[in-house]
Amino acid sequence: MSAGLRDRPAHQADGGAPARRAVIRWAWRLFRREWRQQLLILSLITVAAAGTIFGGAVASNTPAPPNTATFGTANHLAVIPGTDPHLAADISAIRQRFGPADVIENQDLVTGSASQVQLRAQDPRGLYGQPTLALVSGHYPAGPDQVALTSQVATLYNLRAGGTWHQGGQDRRVTGIVENPSHLPDEFALVAAGQVSAPDQVTILFDASARAVAGYRFPAGATVEAPAPSSGGIGPAIIVLALAVLGLIFIGLVAVAGFTVLAQRRLRALGMLGSLGAADRHVRLVMTANGAIAGLTGALAGAAAGFAAWFAYRPYLETSAGHQIDPLHLPWWLIATGMVLAVVTAIAAASRPARAVARISPHAALAGRPEPPRAAHRSAVPGIVLLLIGPGLLILAGGWGHNSGTSTLETLGGLVATTCGGLLLAPFCITGLAALGRHAPVAVRLALRDLARYRARSAAALSAITFAVVIAMLICILATARYANVLDYTGPNLTASQLILYPPAAGGPGPAGAPGSANPRPLTHGQERTLVGRVTTALASRSVLTLYSAAQPGAHVAGYPGPVQATLNQAGTQTNNYSGPLYVATPALLRNFGIRPGQVTAGADVLTMRPGLAAEPRMQLVVPPSRFPGPGQARSQDPCPAGSCIASPQIETVTGLPSGTSAPNTVITLRAVRALGLHEVTSGWLIQAARPLTAGQISSARQLAAAAGAIIETKSGEVSLSEILNAATAVGLLIALGVLAMTVGLIRSETGSDLRTLAATGASGTTRRTITAVTAGGLGLLGAVIGTAIAYLAAIAWYRSSLATTVSHVPTVDLILVLAGLPLTASAGGWLFAGRQPAAMARQPLG
Amino acid sequence: MSVLELQQVSKVYGAGPAEVHALRDASLTVEAGAMVAVMGPSGSGKSTLLTIAGSLEKPTSGEVLIEGAPLSAMSRGAQARLRRRTIGYVFQDFNLLPGLTAAENVALPLELDGVPARKARAAGIRALEGLGLAARASSFPDQLSGGERQRVAIARAVAGERHLLLADEPSGALDSANGEAVMQLIRDACTRGVAAVLVTHDAQLASWADRVLLVRDGQVTDRGAQAGPQARLAMEQGR
Repeated sequence: MSAGLRDRPAHQADGGAPARRAVIRWAWRLFRREWRQQLLILSLITVAAAGTIFGGAVASNTPAPPNTATFGTANHLAVIPGTDPHLAADISAIRQRFGPADVIENQDLVTGSASQVQLRAQDPRGLYGQPTLALVSGHYPAGPDQVALTSQVATLYNLRAGGTWHQGGQDRRVTGIVENPSHLPDEFALVAAGQVSAPDQVTILFDASARAVAGYRFPAGATVEAPAPSSGGIGPAIIVLALAVLGLIFIGLVAVAGFTVLAQRRLRALGMLGSLGAADRHVRLVMTANGAIAGLTGALAGAAAGFAAWFAYRPYLETSAGHQIDPLHLPWWLIATGMVLAVVTAIAAASRPARAVARISPHAALAGRPEPPRAAHRSAVPGIVLLLIGPGLLILAGGWGHNSGTSTLETLGGLVATTCGGLLLAPFCITGLAALGRHAPVAVRLALRDLARYRARSAAALSAITFAVVIAMLICILATARYANVLDYTGPNLTASQLILYPPAAGGPGPAGAPGSANPRPLTHGQERTLVGRVTTALASRSVLTLYSAAQPGAHVAGYPGPVQATLNQAGTQTNNYSGPLYVATPALLRNFGIRPGQVTAGADVLTMRPGLAAEPRMQLVVPPSRFPGPGQARSQDPCPAGSCIASPQIETVTGLPSGTSAPNTVITLRAVRALGLHEVTSGWLIQAARPLTAGQISSARQLAAAAGAIIETKSGEVSLSEILNAATAVGLLIALGVLAMTVGLIRSETGSDLRTLAATGASGTTRRTITAVTAGGLGLLGAVIGTAIAYLAAIAWYRSSLATTVSHVPTVDLILVLAGLPLTASAGGWLFAGRQPAAMARQPLG
Repeated sequence: MSVLELQQVSKVYGAGPAEVHALRDASLTVEAGAMVAVMGPSGSGKSTLLTIAGSLEKPTSGEVLIEGAPLSAMSRGAQARLRRRTIGYVFQDFNLLPGLTAAENVALPLELDGVPARKARAAGIRALEGLGLAARASSFPDQLSGGERQRVAIARAVAGERHLLLADEPSGALDSANGEAVMQLIRDACTRGVAAVLVTHDAQLASWADRVLLVRDGQVTDRGAQAGPQARLAMEQGR
């Protein structure tokens, strides 16, 4: 013993490094023993870190390198049409003028695929074009009878390396699989340079100064491009970081409440430490070290989860983003910042309860008695100022539709300021609620008063609940506003059991520009019947509905596939035009959806299931002025000329129509078709299967369609409004209830002596239950009301110029679920879980 | 110089009508090597006297001197250092830190005072050896019996050559055999020059002390020296 005393360094007032190590060791041991009590905090930090890594990786890698896919390493490209009568001479002249150049010949192929497939002659070792080619397997074609295919083309023709590709009357041996690594959707069949006999266009890659290019006379019909300059906007990683910071603010709020609970639970142990001579800083260190350990553990677990998710998702992202992605091409600075922020958030969240617990005398801590609550004199001014600045920034951001870098900053700043302002004002609402309840029955009064007395705990909990509600309600409001746009309709295109088959010459609602429609080979009626029959059989379906467009056969608009069709417009609107197909309401179509002719008004021009479309002002049913003017005719100045336009058509809402964005959700009546002098033109076939279509069925249908030059459309990944609302509301409610479950127990245990006093004076278990239920319900109600108010304030500022068509559409069910469901569920939970007498109550003496 | 001196110490809890006088002008002096027992009914102020003497609580008025140094003149940090170096506390419910082994619990005050972990642990093990607990040095508190826990607590309280041992019902949670053993350990510490103040309800255990103080309604009465220890020693030697 004396050795220990002799070795004590007198100059270290607080024990120095050995003391810190001892305290940190104890904190670590406590964390290992009690990590389950910190599971919510750990989970949230883990999710935040994982989300930052995964989100940052996806956001940084989704946009392709902007120019590599087409320019390779060249700084200019010229595209010369294959119809150029002096093609070879022009290429030679360009080479002579600008030096070495890569020549890539392309010929469009009709394959039935929705994507464009080209026969491409290119030198894989070309000076500039090398980055646009990569060999996946096999080898590059070297002779006239060799070809390498992209994997999509190989799949389309059911080929692999070594097989023979029959195309255009020529057989070529497949030597390998290739790709454009910067643009994976680029579907092509690669042949050796010079092996495309009749190219549709020739691309020449070369390096030249802008002045030299400007001074050169390119052949007629040629286009010359230079790589697009960098947009200079805010990088996606910055946005991810901003979102991560927002998320960590929320986690910090939850963590403050969580660590406060932890400090309360450890009060006696910390008192023991104090009685042994630990200085205040040692007591603080126990909590902050715990915060650091929790933060570090969560960050490491999150990093593991984030990297695992990234490595698992990367192949899918390559497919959807359309370019090769290096798995280690990650925003490392963002990842490092996110990890550090996660740890710092946890430390910062632990430091406040650490300071509070260090102020308690060892004697009070040993007795398990926290310091009596002190009156907090906080100013509401910062909250009010932020509530003014936040919406102001959102208004300045330009509202919906603006997407400049500045507006993104203003939007994020506005959201953060509005949210923080609301959170700063939230504690004042606790006091207000307590004041409101001063005439309530004693149990309710006590519960509300305790919320106000222990505001250090209740305010942190309320902030966390409010934040969860803000995020959930913002998602609900924004999604509802977006889905409420009946003109630019969004949502799932079809159900999982539906498929639309578009004929080659439709040019209608099918994907514009697809080879099937851009270069159509119309099918005969017999071929159409055969194709539809085969596809229907492949899908095991018996329900086929022929879809017609109201069109002017033979009239075309330049660059618009297929015949001119009628469409809907809103006069005077630039950004809110009608989107989606407009099929003809044939008797068969109406019958197919169970709509009787008597249900439709005789004078109706348009039938729709889009709620609210019928009430849209200044609508016009028009035929685009393609056939006007005719040769030698003047263009009409009338924006809605009679005969080709119906101003304010009678639009009738018919709920029986399907809701898919590609399905006939809005149809034009035969009466309107006749009035516009149009005819019904077959646009496709809606095939309804009894069950959701399998991948095999879809593949069979696609191959059948491809063989005939047609294309198919099936359910895409677009989510429905209800899915978004349900998910946002459920997650928001769950987080809010989780925070309540964690914090109400603490507030209740602090009032244990009051409860015991009540019990001693004859109060029943019902009183105890009521107090807990009101505590939980009160916090839930305040969080729901304040969170919803903040979300609506932000949304109103953001949508200020289009309130009638956006925020006026209220997600009623979700609003009720949050405003009523959250407090009621919290109260019910509090009532149920308050049945067990808290240990603290049994221990504590009567006050 | 006395190790502990209380001068007119009063402690008042609450205010106004809720005011409670836990201690009224209590004065006390404990010399090195002396063992003082404090007795009295529940709520009389015994524990308050001990917590104020141990700097765990501040008196409302009066002064506490530890080895001549007034507590009122010390900062919280200086008081903490005093608890690390001079005062050892033994509680009725042991108050061993969960998550630390017996040796680490004993070594903790030394480590908090800046002694390197290895040396502090060696000192802790030596302290445990002195109390016959060397084999339990690596056990956690929840793996020890009540008697063992209290012996660890005593080892922790005396480790590092502390001069003042304050024990609040040290045998309250133990059976009589273990209680007697604990008192023997405290007595041994006093033999080595440690001043001890122990609060107890048990007159039998109080007979181990050199002096007995009675506390009633916050007022301390010194019953003076007693023959108990010598008689007990004689009895022990006669066996």
